[in-house]
Amino acid sequence: MNNDNPLSPHIQIYKWHVSSLVSISHRITGVINILTLSLICFWIWTLILGNENYQIIYNFFNSFLGKFFVIGFIWSYLFQILSEVRHWFWDLGYGFELKTSKITGVLVIFGSILFTIILYSLRGILV
Amino acid sequence: MISATKKWIFLKVSSLLMVPFMIWFLLKFVSIHDGNYQNIIDFFSTQPSTIIFSIFIITTFFHSALSISEIFEDYIDNDKTRKFANMMVYLSSFIIPGITIIILIKL
Repeated sequence: MNNDNPLSPHIQIYKWHVSSLVSISHRITGVINILTLSLICFWIWTLILGNENYQIIYNFFNSFLGKFFVIGFIWSYLFQILSEVRHWFWDLGYGFELKTSKITGVLVIFGSILFTIILYSLRGILV
Repeated sequence: MISATKKWIFLKVSSLLMVPFMIWFLLKFVSIHDGNYQNIIDFFSTQPSTIIFSIFIITTFFHSALSISEIFEDYIDNDKTRKFANMMVYLSSFIIPGITIIILIKL
């Protein structure tokens, strides 16, 4: 049976606003998060291979690329968390006004960057 | 209750459950990721890390599978392709956390 529901227009049709940027970023970071969580699960799978084989993962996490991966992972998760909180307020009926929606969108973008810097700076202290 | 409403409720409940576990994991991950083999084993094999991480991956994979199926509904027109894509996402959201939890128990 064919689905007659219309598809969403592709994103290049829209004029970009903070809300549309946060909305599409919410979806993109959601997909990135599940892919990185899958990689973290594979990381756990490698633990059963023993200490010698773990050296490859250890070297990766302590390399420039590894640090880039970790910072990107933290930002993507923090973006998703803040954006989810924004959705909760919408679900309760708050924050739909255009101005409020723009402010909360900006808070999600800059908040996720700020918290990423804070969290990464505190590594080693937070155990 | 129609299936779309049920899906929305599942999305919201899983989102409420997922966020605190996400914060917990971020706080832990940032400090342990570059540790040596023994540090990582110690973290994942001791309680409450094992149980909290297991709940975290179950809720996150469940929430993500529902969210990704919404994206497929919005952007994939062909029914067969969409059903296949959904099946792959739901299947991997069972298999990956399932194997991970078994390994965590055996660590």
